[in-house]
Amino acid sequence: MDITQLPLPSEQSTASHAVELRLAGRFDAHEVDTFRAILGQILDGSGSGAATRVLVSLAEVEFIDSTALAELVRGMKHCRERDGDLILVSPSDPVRVILELTRLDLAFTIE
Amino acid sequence: MTTHVDPMQSLTAALVEVNEQLLVLYQLASITTESLDESEAVAAILEKARDLLAADLLTFSVDGDQVHSTDQLMRRHDDESHDRAPVGRAPNRTSVEVSNGRLTGSLYAHRDNRTFGTADHKLLTAIASMALGAVQTSRHHHETLEGAVARRDHDTASELAQLALPTWRPELPGVDVFARSDPARAAGGDLFTFAVLDDVLHFVAGDVSGKGLPAALMMTTVISAATAAFQSAGTAGPGAVLETIDNWVHKYLADAGLFVTLMAGSYDAGSRQLSIASAGHGPIFYIDDSGPRSINSVVPPIGVLPLSDLGPVEDTVLAAPPGSRLVVSSDGFTEQEDPAGQMWGEQRMLDLLVDSNLPATELGGLVFERLESYAGTAEQTDDRTLLIIRATAVETDAHG
Repeated sequence: MDITQLPLPSEQSTASHAVELRLAGRFDAHEVDTFRAILGQILDGSGSGAATRVLVSLAEVEFIDSTALAELVRGMKHCRERDGDLILVSPSDPVRVILELTRLDLAFTIE
Repeated sequence: MTTHVDPMQSLTAALVEVNEQLLVLYQLASITTESLDESEAVAAILEKARDLLAADLLTFSVDGDQVHSTDQLMRRHDDESHDRAPVGRAPNRTSVEVSNGRLTGSLYAHRDNRTFGTADHKLLTAIASMALGAVQTSRHHHETLEGAVARRDHDTASELAQLALPTWRPELPGVDVFARSDPARAAGGDLFTFAVLDDVLHFVAGDVSGKGLPAALMMTTVISAATAAFQSAGTAGPGAVLETIDNWVHKYLADAGLFVTLMAGSYDAGSRQLSIASAGHGPIFYIDDSGPRSINSVVPPIGVLPLSDLGPVEDTVLAAPPGSRLVVSSDGFTEQEDPAGQMWGEQRMLDLLVDSNLPATELGGLVFERLESYAGTAEQTDDRTLLIIRATAVETDAHG
């Protein structure tokens, strides 16, 4: 899986301390440690201040398993504990199906 | 007056010195210790080395921590003088340092009546290397031992966790039950359990997120909660059972950063009523004469959001005549890959279930057999759990 961290337009990022992560490929048990480390750095604010609003783009994710879903839930809870949110953006069809089947669509903010 | 030095005498003296050094090296090399205690092993080396060097004191430290000194009283005395006079300046005391990349050893030597020469330094370096090797061997041995103990404890805990899964199967007129869970590792997070209360079969099946022992330990907690929830909320339906379990384990799961996909169900063979509610668990298929249908989840997995925030959990209620069957599997089935990386998928499983109207035990065995055949040499990457509830005829059905 590829994870790309993108700076958001300054207006949006300054207002909400937002960061976008673009995920591509398979997101499964083998990838969660990398995702957790990157998200941890973002939430801890190493460098340019902590973000509380994290947009996770899933448009190019081909497959997601339950361990990866658990990691997204974990990240979402951490963000909300900091009065922020982890928002799922443009989930691909396979990801959207899983979110609907598990009813995790009720738990996440999806844009 | 000039002093004449006989070259032959000098050569002889040098040869004797070399010979003595070789003898000392031979004796040093003959030091053996069978102890795997690092302090004892280093003590054996230093005591021998003290004789070879005619030293009054030898102290060996690793990464700044003393492992052994040949004389505690003298060491304390010498440490004080050592503080005042740095090593290397006084000719009758010296130290050498050796490193093997992981550990650094320091050998401090003191001799009251003789200074240390170049040959002594080489010998001290050899002794220090030997002592450092003994320390590393000892530590490696203990790490291996601790690893073995940890693995044994892990294996024991895994076996205990798997014992939480019931080995009995409900025997109730009008219903035939198959349940089997094959963890991908020694322990898994997949679960199922049953209860029969007032001739009604209650059951749950689920999958704790994550893998291995942490998921397995959480699985045992969910099974305990389910067993209690059957008693306290079973008559109110599977949705109420899920809400009750959520009340008990939500915080526990949330604090651990885990969730459990969980379905609950009940089957009353007397009224032929099958009730199901799922919190993120699937796939769940119900198959009768009219064909197959999927039972969808109504709420997210337990541990994600408090279910009380979402309102009452609705049951799906079906009239399940003899021959109909409910099949609940974990994602370890649908996501199992073949050697080419192609997943088994829901459709293959559904086709098999529709084509094979067999008793529950035979059908369950067939599903596992087909999946294993499909996987071939591909690794089992996730736990596989299958629960089949099949309605069967009872005497009253046959005559009624």
